[in-house]
Amino acid sequence: MNISLPERFIRRCRSNERDEAVIGTRQIYIIPTRYGFAFAFVLLLMWIGSINYANNLGLLLTFLLAGVGLIAMLHTWRNLLGLTFRLGHSNPVFKSEQACFEIQLINPRRDERPAIGIRFKKTDNAVYCDIPPDSEQLAKLYLTTERRGRLPVPGLQVSTIYPLGLFYAWSYIELSGETLVYPAPGSKQIKAEIPSYQLNQQGDKGVGADDFVGLRSYRAGDSPKQIDWKAHAREQGLHTKQFGGDRADLCWLEWDHYPHLDREARLSALCRGVLDAVEQQQAFGLRLPNQTIKPARGETQRQLALRALALFGETAA
Amino acid sequence: MNSTTQLSRPLLYSLTLITALVVAPHFQRLNAVIILAFLAVLGLRWGTLYFSGWKPGKLVLFTITLMAAILIFTTYPLLMGLEAKVALLSLMLGLKLMECRSQRDLIVVLFLGYFTLITHFLFDQEMLLVGYVFIMVITLTALLVEASRTSPSEGWHFKSLRYSGAMIVQAIPIMLLLFFLFPRISGPLWNLGVDNSTGRTGLSDSITPGDISNLIRSRAVAFRVDFDETAPPPQQRYWRGPVLWNTDGYRWTRTRYLQTEPVSYRSDAPPISYQVTLEPSPNDWLYALDLPETLPSEATLLPDFQIKAKNIRNRRHRYAVTSRLSYHTGSLNERERGLGLQLPDNITPRMRDLVRQWRSQNTSDLALVNQSLRYFRSEPYYYTLTPPLLGNNPVDQFLFDSRRGFCEHYATSFTSLMRIAGIPARVVTGYQGGELNPLGNYLIVRQSDAHAWSEVWLEESGWTRVDPTAAVAPERIEQTFDFDLEENSILGIPVIFSTGNSGLLKDLTHQFRLGIDAANASWHRWVLGYSKEQQQKLMQQLGLGNLNAMKLAIAMILAIAVMILLLLYLLRLRSEVKPDPVLKDYLTFCRRLSGKGIQRFPHEGPDDYSHRIIRKRPDLRQSVNAITQHYIRLRYGQSDSPQLRRTFHRLVRQFRA
Repeated sequence: MNISLPERFIRRCRSNERDEAVIGTRQIYIIPTRYGFAFAFVLLLMWIGSINYANNLGLLLTFLLAGVGLIAMLHTWRNLLGLTFRLGHSNPVFKSEQACFEIQLINPRRDERPAIGIRFKKTDNAVYCDIPPDSEQLAKLYLTTERRGRLPVPGLQVSTIYPLGLFYAWSYIELSGETLVYPAPGSKQIKAEIPSYQLNQQGDKGVGADDFVGLRSYRAGDSPKQIDWKAHAREQGLHTKQFGGDRADLCWLEWDHYPHLDREARLSALCRGVLDAVEQQQAFGLRLPNQTIKPARGETQRQLALRALALFGETAA
Repeated sequence: MNSTTQLSRPLLYSLTLITALVVAPHFQRLNAVIILAFLAVLGLRWGTLYFSGWKPGKLVLFTITLMAAILIFTTYPLLMGLEAKVALLSLMLGLKLMECRSQRDLIVVLFLGYFTLITHFLFDQEMLLVGYVFIMVITLTALLVEASRTSPSEGWHFKSLRYSGAMIVQAIPIMLLLFFLFPRISGPLWNLGVDNSTGRTGLSDSITPGDISNLIRSRAVAFRVDFDETAPPPQQRYWRGPVLWNTDGYRWTRTRYLQTEPVSYRSDAPPISYQVTLEPSPNDWLYALDLPETLPSEATLLPDFQIKAKNIRNRRHRYAVTSRLSYHTGSLNERERGLGLQLPDNITPRMRDLVRQWRSQNTSDLALVNQSLRYFRSEPYYYTLTPPLLGNNPVDQFLFDSRRGFCEHYATSFTSLMRIAGIPARVVTGYQGGELNPLGNYLIVRQSDAHAWSEVWLEESGWTRVDPTAAVAPERIEQTFDFDLEENSILGIPVIFSTGNSGLLKDLTHQFRLGIDAANASWHRWVLGYSKEQQQKLMQQLGLGNLNAMKLAIAMILAIAVMILLLLYLLRLRSEVKPDPVLKDYLTFCRRLSGKGIQRFPHEGPDDYSHRIIRKRPDLRQSVNAITQHYIRLRYGQSDSPQLRRTFHRLVRQFRA
């Protein structure tokens, strides 16, 4: 069900100082569903019938069901009341991928809360779950990203029709939190106009992993894999094999390498460069107009670089 | 969840079963073919569920629907009568169940189920049925609950069943408020042509010999009476019904009054007021003690003091009447004199001889009446439940040949004899006596209390009641007519009246029956018979006076709002997790400190917190340490005791930051 209310009148349920949003009494909206209206119509028929046949038992049944309808409204409302939300972990994604938000639904009550639906206000496909008493459940909501940068959690809409499906209660939740959207990686064809490789001046210290360089005598702490066991078997003592290859190329990814592209395309191209470098296990550095990241390799470096690219041009970097 | 979701198979199994149970009470009145068709459709549904591969296609469904329609219209052409409508509803329910796939279908089936439940009450209003319908409402609602869940609840829907039961229990106060306060409309909105021909026992507007003695075998309740003060003694309890003037020598019938002028009589007796709850009957008259004075608005008093009423057929009706037990009806007009002396053709010479003999001995009419009563008493006349069959002149045969008869024999013969003597006379039918139920403090009048007596017009007293049966069997009038039908069923033997000291077991069962009847009577008065008038009366008793519909509606809405708020409070009270007292005390302690600017961080344990407090406020060291140590011992240690809890509570209460 999609109900649009004038924005300024909407009561939202916002995160408190513990980053939890709790649905309060005044933040729940409720209207009858079409089944609710159908139920009312059936009751009207039953009422008219009972009056016509002067049948008091019929009236009694009609009024019992009317009572059940009213009670159902109360229970539907109560099914949302006090429900607590917390934003869970969310991984950064590349632009135009699906961002996944993990939302924790906490039921602090001793009663089960079945049929809680949660979705982003702007999308239609809700996730439904039954939350057992005094427990938590994780709902994963996906959103296709449209621009790079920070992506705050969009407004959520939580709803329920439990217990009878006669009423639809819903609440708007605004959680504080965000995820990062990296630029979409550019295509591999885009080549930098200026080659960006640079030799490491102090390479080949014997700590690489490529070429055999020579042997040295064993020092405590050396990896058993690198011990020359054959020499040991010939009773020549313990020796450690040394490998070179650490004098590999160092790669600089630079903003200025792509003068023919506009801003977003440059960021995309740089993003591709970062990904390629990580794939080839190259050390790389990133030079943006306002920021320079020193060359390094590995996961931390990757995240640092992508983050810089994602937030490029945003005020609070 | 949404309307296109597939329904789970266990849910559909339960739905099929419950549909059968919802329709089941109708089986006793539906045509066997319809029942078979209904069960066949349900069986087919069950089969399609069991062999899950096959789902009925559109063509199959259409064929089945067409067959059902043909069946209905051949069994009940033109769909006349309630039965036909019920049959249609049942088959519709079955067919809808057949194509039930999505949640929307399920809800349609459940709503049709609710509607089917209400139709049971058109045929039967017993408490047992009410219990059954109540259980069915719970199960139907449980299915609605189950269907609105995301995943099925484990354990055969018991969770949903419990939830639905709780909701319905919570709805009962609202139901009662609505029932008693919802503004009532009196009379039907339009005439539905309810078939009235259901065979109910009761007096009719004519008698032939044997009518009342047949009626007397029925223990069914005719009406119940609540007296405002004490009930009159048994011999005064003559409940007046139809007054019979015309006779063809065999059958006695009423006379027609074209217009009714206000009827009155003279009386010095104090008025007796009471309320009568009449069981449904096909008749249009009411019963009251001789003679009725003030009547309910829907009734009119005919000149022969019968009460005719409108719109009372075939429903339980409650009305208030006042009567005076001694009276003088005044002079007789020509029409009534003519009617009161009308004689049939079959008066025999020996009847005329008998009356001529009495007339020669008595000059006054009153003396003649007494003479005839003496005659009935002294001659060998017997009061019997099973009088021998009489031919086409029953009065003559009874008086001179069989001499065994029931009240209608005595009343009709006596009236005939009086008319021969030139005294205007008429037969009155109604009920006599009634059993006082000490448990409900009201009078039960049964069909077995049906009676017939005579009225003669005398110069001194106007129309005067004469009961010839009382001359033959005075016990009939003074006691409850409670004899053993088995003992008295042999043809022609005189009735043996029970002496009152029957066995203990019989006494107990009698008490039990009285208890059941008392429950039934309140059921009838407060539930089945609750009407616009009752509503006004209740409001007056509550001191609210005469509320009009508008005010009543407002009162109803207010009362329900209060009820819902109360319920809301109870629900919240129940559901929120109560913190344990130790934690509550500790939180009080923390609150007092945070008021002074030392707030406890969410990550901070009690020990760290106490260190921080003491660093900031060394003056509190002693009390903070004591409280923290007690708290840690109570919460995390093994030394939990009520005494320790009390000490902790006291420490917190005395703590001032």
